[in-house]
Amino acid sequence: MNGFLLLLAGVFLPLFPFSMIFSAVFAKLTHPVARVLLLLLWPQAGVLLLAHTGLPLNAEFFVGWAVATFLLYALRLLSVRDLFQWSGMLMISATSLTWLLASTTTERLLLQQFVFWLTVAPVFLVLLATAFQTRFGAAYAGLHTGLARRLPKLSALLVFSVFAGMALPIFPAFFSLLGLMVQSPVQWGVAVLLGWLLWTWAGTRLLNGFVFGPPTPITAEDLCRGKALAIGLSLIAIVVLNLIWTGVKP
Amino acid sequence: MIELQWLVPLLPLLSAVLVHTLSGSLGKRVAQLSVAFGTLTVLVAAIGLFGYFGHTGGAVWQGGFLPGGAESGGFSGWGSLLHDPLSHIMSLVVAGISLIVHVYSIRYMSEEPGYARFFVLLDLMTASILLMVSAGDLVTLLIAWHLVGVFLYFLLGHNTESKPAQRYAFWTFITYRIGDLPLVLAAVILYQAYGVIDFPTLFARIAENPNATTVFGMPVTTTTALLVAFSAFAKSAQFPLHTWLPYTMEGPTPVSALMHAGIVNAGGFIINRFAPVFVHADGVLHLLFVVGLITALIGSVLMLTQNDIKKSLGYSTMGQMGFMVMECGLGAFSLAIFHLIAHGLFKGTMFLSAGNVIGEARRSDGVPHNPLYTFLVERKPASARLPWLMIGLVTLVVPLAILILAHWFVAADFFQKQGAIVLLFFGWITGVQVLFATHRLDSSNPIRLMVMILLSFALIVVGYTVIGHAFENFLYPDEAFRNAIYHAAGIDTVTFDGLVLLLALIVVGGWLASYLKSRNRSLWSARFTGLQLALYSLISREFYVADVYDRLALSLIALSKRLNVMLRWY
Repeated sequence: MNGFLLLLAGVFLPLFPFSMIFSAVFAKLTHPVARVLLLLLWPQAGVLLLAHTGLPLNAEFFVGWAVATFLLYALRLLSVRDLFQWSGMLMISATSLTWLLASTTTERLLLQQFVFWLTVAPVFLVLLATAFQTRFGAAYAGLHTGLARRLPKLSALLVFSVFAGMALPIFPAFFSLLGLMVQSPVQWGVAVLLGWLLWTWAGTRLLNGFVFGPPTPITAEDLCRGKALAIGLSLIAIVVLNLIWTGVKP
Repeated sequence: MIELQWLVPLLPLLSAVLVHTLSGSLGKRVAQLSVAFGTLTVLVAAIGLFGYFGHTGGAVWQGGFLPGGAESGGFSGWGSLLHDPLSHIMSLVVAGISLIVHVYSIRYMSEEPGYARFFVLLDLMTASILLMVSAGDLVTLLIAWHLVGVFLYFLLGHNTESKPAQRYAFWTFITYRIGDLPLVLAAVILYQAYGVIDFPTLFARIAENPNATTVFGMPVTTTTALLVAFSAFAKSAQFPLHTWLPYTMEGPTPVSALMHAGIVNAGGFIINRFAPVFVHADGVLHLLFVVGLITALIGSVLMLTQNDIKKSLGYSTMGQMGFMVMECGLGAFSLAIFHLIAHGLFKGTMFLSAGNVIGEARRSDGVPHNPLYTFLVERKPASARLPWLMIGLVTLVVPLAILILAHWFVAADFFQKQGAIVLLFFGWITGVQVLFATHRLDSSNPIRLMVMILLSFALIVVGYTVIGHAFENFLYPDEAFRNAIYHAAGIDTVTFDGLVLLLALIVVGGWLASYLKSRNRSLWSARFTGLQLALYSLISREFYVADVYDRLALSLIALSKRLNVMLRWY
């Protein structure tokens, strides 16, 4: 029974190849709200299943499998140009680390928080990808480069969201990964660092395909002030909330 | 007074916020606001340093204002500052260099788009470096350490539409990330082993129990020292993580100045910050010495072979960083700080005056037809000079005498330390080199010229030695600790003597080769010509290091694409 539940949890806290189910569902959905809800709820279901099997997780094999998934998707992120797809793969890569944390803790709430903080960046990226899609027909890196001066608000928000995805300080994912490493054996920490580096590389490549580089002619309008403020303030609120609520705890 | 030090990183942060907020209404005058805050930061940093001179009781730890809690498995409070000689002196240096760069940028950047953004980034960068040098715990240090790389990425890519600027900003950022992550692991290992993050308690616990072990039974101190060293190598452009430095000239000149004068010195700083770890780390200091030596050699060789002056300056900085890390490897930690300050001021001046030099060169050819120019550039021999053998003897003996006397004067036991001997040896060799080269300057009175050269050399050595020792006493007042660092850097006597002998032979060989070369003869037979050419082509391609990285990066991206295609992008 436990084995079946663990495999089922591997669908929701995606383990490759079950992760492809999430990717397929994510690609099928077209409405941004549906995508955001999927990002937020899908891994939480996985946490519930995992907690049901008993914490701390006593299955080294699954932990190794999860870390391999984390690294695989971090590597795959390098060549992904579509912002929606990028968000989905980042979510898979990040939340697969929950298995590692589950092997060190008895607190379900801790796992739920961990997953939440790691899905913040993909959620914001989906919202921004929708804005790009509305303007250009696709949220594709390299389609229109050098947007920094033409669409400054959208570009700035994209930069901050990608940085949040790269787990740079002082975004929530940074503290989540730091906390995870503190609780995990050092050898797993090395794997986490490797994936972390791949996220940075992939994120910077993505930004170069949108924000920086020689400008291409466009007629699109920037985000309106209200929307930009709403997204920007939400991101700031989440950062502040993370700092106040959890400090550096996972 | 010391409590005021919170203002040092906070003032530039506040400035960044104000510059961003008021840029719409104040226009380009926001730069003056930024400069005003920069001036205030320098004043507070200076007050802090001078206040510390009168302070007794050692380092002061302040803060831990942000939440978390050891009882719940997280870190205890972070967001703290450490007030010790290192943080105070570095704060003043960083704030000072940043102020100069701010003032310079007012006019230099006035025609560039994103004027206010530039000052915001400059302020944020200054705040990050100041936080880094005065961080009082592991987490605050990590945050500042990461942020330096982030803001440098934006500053180097300030021209958002320039492809080369973005390319090299990206290189720098990735290398910095490579340097960030080992420090994360070091912090994690230290926390797992000792259970605290604030530096004073952490260092006290390390001193109490330096033999703690981590994964696979590896000693914590050696492992973390290795990781910190690796972090320092990436930030301070040590071979083979140096490729970003010579190529980052696409950014604005003030950024180059700030980078070469301040940011690249982060490696020297972090090694000093973790000195209590290095003192217990067997062999890591030797690694620092070797990596620093290789970097210094390669940086200097590549500098000499560049035909692009900016890249040449970049490699010059790389060489200097090699010397700085080498000094740490010898146990001369405070000398590395002294070196990075001196180099920072010198290299910053060079970058900031580069524009004037170019402007001047456009107006006139600037060829000064004086003896120095004809000697250095046209390589015309002097009409009258002293006998070669006499000069050879004088230049070999006198610098050695000056160096020994100067060091004996400030610390009689100086010669008991191997690191000191190596530094002395280095000072002697370079002194001889300089003296021997300059004696050939054209002069109507060669003896007077020689006396003047020797006097200048003596002045530099005495000044340097006295300041260096005073500096060491200020940074590391505990004599036992100073000796422990030198001891950790030491090797067994036979190996040491053998290495010194080997180095001496290499140097003498070099002198002999250059002497023969000046007489159109060669130390090597003709069959080595091919080898020389191969070596030269290797150097001219900068040892293919950047090409290897490029190939590796492209291979990984190709693998990523293949995987995605194979898995149908799901």
